[in-house]
Amino acid sequence: MTNQNDNKKHHREIFIVWALLTVIGVLVGLYATPWLMPKSASHTMSMGILTMVIFTVAAAPVAALVYAVCLYALTNWRHRGEGVPADGPAIRGNGPATTLWLVGSTVLTLFLLIWGLGLLGSDQSAGAKASIEAANGGSAAITVDVTAQQWLWSFSYPGTHVKSLDLYLPVNKDVEFNVTSKDVVHGFWIVQMGIKVNANPGVITTTSVTPDKIGTYNIRCTEICGLNHAFMMTKVHVLSDADFQKWLASQPTRI
Amino acid sequence: MTTTLEHLTPVGAVPAGGGFHRRLNFFTALISGGLFAFIAWALSHHFLNSDGRGFSDQVTVLASIGWVLGFELGIGALTPIGRWIIGKDQVHDDELYLAGKNMGVRRHWKYCTDHKVVGVQYIVVTAILLGAGGILAMGIRTNLMTPGLHFVNQQVYNSFLSVHGMLMILALIVAVAGPWANFVVPIMVGARDMAFPRLNALSLWTLVAAIPLLLGSLAIGGLDMGWVTQAPISEQTGVGFDLFAMAIVTFTISTTVAGINTICTVMTMRTKGMNLERLPIFVWASVVAAALGLYAFPFFLVVMSFNLADRMVGTSFFVASQGGTGWLQENLFWLMGHPEVYVILIPAVGALMEITTVFARKPLFSYRTALGSMVGLAGLSALVWAHHMFTTGWAPSLGGPFMVTTEMISIPTGLMFLVILGTLWRGNIWMRLPMYWVFGFLFNFIIGGVTGIYLSDIPVDNQMHGTMFVVAHFHYVFVGSVLFGAIGALCFWYPKVTGRFLDERLGKLSFWLVFVGVQVTFLSMFVSGLRGMPRRYSSYEMIFEHTNLVSTIGAYTIMAGMLVLLGAVITSWTGGEPSGPNPWNSKTLEWLVPTPVPLENFEVLPVITSDPYTYGEAQ
Repeated sequence: MTNQNDNKKHHREIFIVWALLTVIGVLVGLYATPWLMPKSASHTMSMGILTMVIFTVAAAPVAALVYAVCLYALTNWRHRGEGVPADGPAIRGNGPATTLWLVGSTVLTLFLLIWGLGLLGSDQSAGAKASIEAANGGSAAITVDVTAQQWLWSFSYPGTHVKSLDLYLPVNKDVEFNVTSKDVVHGFWIVQMGIKVNANPGVITTTSVTPDKIGTYNIRCTEICGLNHAFMMTKVHVLSDADFQKWLASQPTRI
Repeated sequence: MTTTLEHLTPVGAVPAGGGFHRRLNFFTALISGGLFAFIAWALSHHFLNSDGRGFSDQVTVLASIGWVLGFELGIGALTPIGRWIIGKDQVHDDELYLAGKNMGVRRHWKYCTDHKVVGVQYIVVTAILLGAGGILAMGIRTNLMTPGLHFVNQQVYNSFLSVHGMLMILALIVAVAGPWANFVVPIMVGARDMAFPRLNALSLWTLVAAIPLLLGSLAIGGLDMGWVTQAPISEQTGVGFDLFAMAIVTFTISTTVAGINTICTVMTMRTKGMNLERLPIFVWASVVAAALGLYAFPFFLVVMSFNLADRMVGTSFFVASQGGTGWLQENLFWLMGHPEVYVILIPAVGALMEITTVFARKPLFSYRTALGSMVGLAGLSALVWAHHMFTTGWAPSLGGPFMVTTEMISIPTGLMFLVILGTLWRGNIWMRLPMYWVFGFLFNFIIGGVTGIYLSDIPVDNQMHGTMFVVAHFHYVFVGSVLFGAIGALCFWYPKVTGRFLDERLGKLSFWLVFVGVQVTFLSMFVSGLRGMPRRYSSYEMIFEHTNLVSTIGAYTIMAGMLVLLGAVITSWTGGEPSGPNPWNSKTLEWLVPTPVPLENFEVLPVITSDPYTYGEAQ
């Protein structure tokens, strides 16, 4: 009987610490994560940030449980005094606790999986839509050919003769990137738009995004590509549609 | 203190056997290795056609093969088999000589078949690997203290980070399994030695032979490929890569031999009554990790060999313009690379579980769950490799399936937490030095684990892949978790090895330095990554200035902690407080034999009637 009373006391006190730590974790998830990440310039990035927030909030109770039990063990179950302590209770397992733990972690994992797979599916179907649009020459989408080489990016716009070392994009239009490399593997990453795909020599890889905010953003290389890997960066300028057309027209027809 | 073999030789005398082996030790191995390397270099230099880069690749590889062979000959690894071939079998005295009987400290410099000597040798090797990798880490962090290249140039920086990565991976693969699967596992199962004592020594000295190759690659330099050796840059980078890849080839031979030996020892050498469910959990951890290593490391051998072949003899496994593909390199590498994470992690967790039962004075919470979590991790880890390739463009349709397998890993990982927390539950927790590292592990592994789940989610990975966020994540796993397990194991078994306690005061100081250092370094590194700093950058934009400075300060703190630990290990070895044979009052067999453990461990082999977790139960 005393065991049960003891257990109840342990449960109650651990629960209080757990609840406190969970609240802290949830607050960190809700406020710190989006504050630390770059300001989003696309729906893809916004969803990525939201996913980070949701995952942090979902992980908070798990981490809090581990920390609460650790803290409680360090304070209440600690042997004070010299020499080897007496043996603790011979608990060789606890079926219901193990089952509960297993079910809990499985449910949490399934939740994260369903969220992630759903998001992945919607990203992929949006990408497919963009690539069909682009193939049909629809005005709702544009294609950009991205070529990486040690240590710069160059962008060309099929159907025009425009080539550029900075990327220019119209706002609110689907963009399909065809990415390749002239030498080694590079990583094409638009930091504020949450998209990334490697540039491999001899292969074309694709990714797509819809920029939703006018402004200037960063492109950085994310695969080690030799001496100047750290300096392989450029800018992307998202313009209004009119400004973008103006920019296209202002470019020399041949380089 | 009589062993069963003692009556065959006079007490206290070095056995008369050994033959040619009596002349051999580490120094003859160095000389012989150097000589063979020189001969191989001179011959290949003379006879092979000179055609620019390929020429030097071939010479470098052949010279390093010469080095490894010469080293093995010079240490005496091939002497017994040579004698067998010419019909002069090893006699009993020869075996006793090889086991280092009555040889004192001198036997640590020799090809010694005693598993306890091999264990101690592994401690030294691990310390050398960690030390070298740590110095490179300090170089990297010093360079990143400020934006711009103020410390080293890009060439040196890239070589530093490539060799740092590989040194640390090798160090952690051997950090727990090397010393302790050799020193304690045979005693834990009630065996007199490993199943194959000579193979045991061979695996150790093959590992030793690999280290100069890896450090040599740094000396030659020009390594631009990172530890993942992504093609095609690894096909084009300098000749340092040939030594780098040959170090891995040599290392895989060492680990494969060691893994087979561990599994055979546990499967065949258990004493009477030691059935599989009575094995201490650390023994299971060693077996599961060794088995997983046997699956994983052949890929390592293959990917490095293909790469060398492309460079040396004109094959085109990874050359896109000639029918190969870099994606093949990435697949092969990660087929090794992900299981390898668990080859590293599982023994560390096993050791921590062992420590937790002893210091909480409680049985392991759900032995079968512990075993299931390890086997589950090992099984799943073979099916997740492509999550390292989500953003490569390879097989986008496989993204979903690999996301599923990857996130499922969190279930067996969670069970590991359950086992340790359940063992702590209502225990009488004795906060001696090893226990500090258990709590440190629990704290860090949650952070390392949760951030791993973020990265398994493809929309998040599209943002985070290749950034400092990933670096911080796996350093929380490798430094914050595995290294904590390795140090915990060292503090725990140190009295068994030396007969003395590791200095508690210095040990706790090192714990706090390393623990705080890890949080400072890698929490701020998460922030660098979240804010958009890619990894493997030798320089960065001003917005990343503060978090990098903080990371560098934290890294120095970790280094200081590790130096304190090194000091404690060295000074306590002869000057520590004497511990007696079983200072922790543990029930596993290694604590029930005398300290120092005599040759062949047991006077009489014990008969086992229960598992070692009978805390609080009527005996």
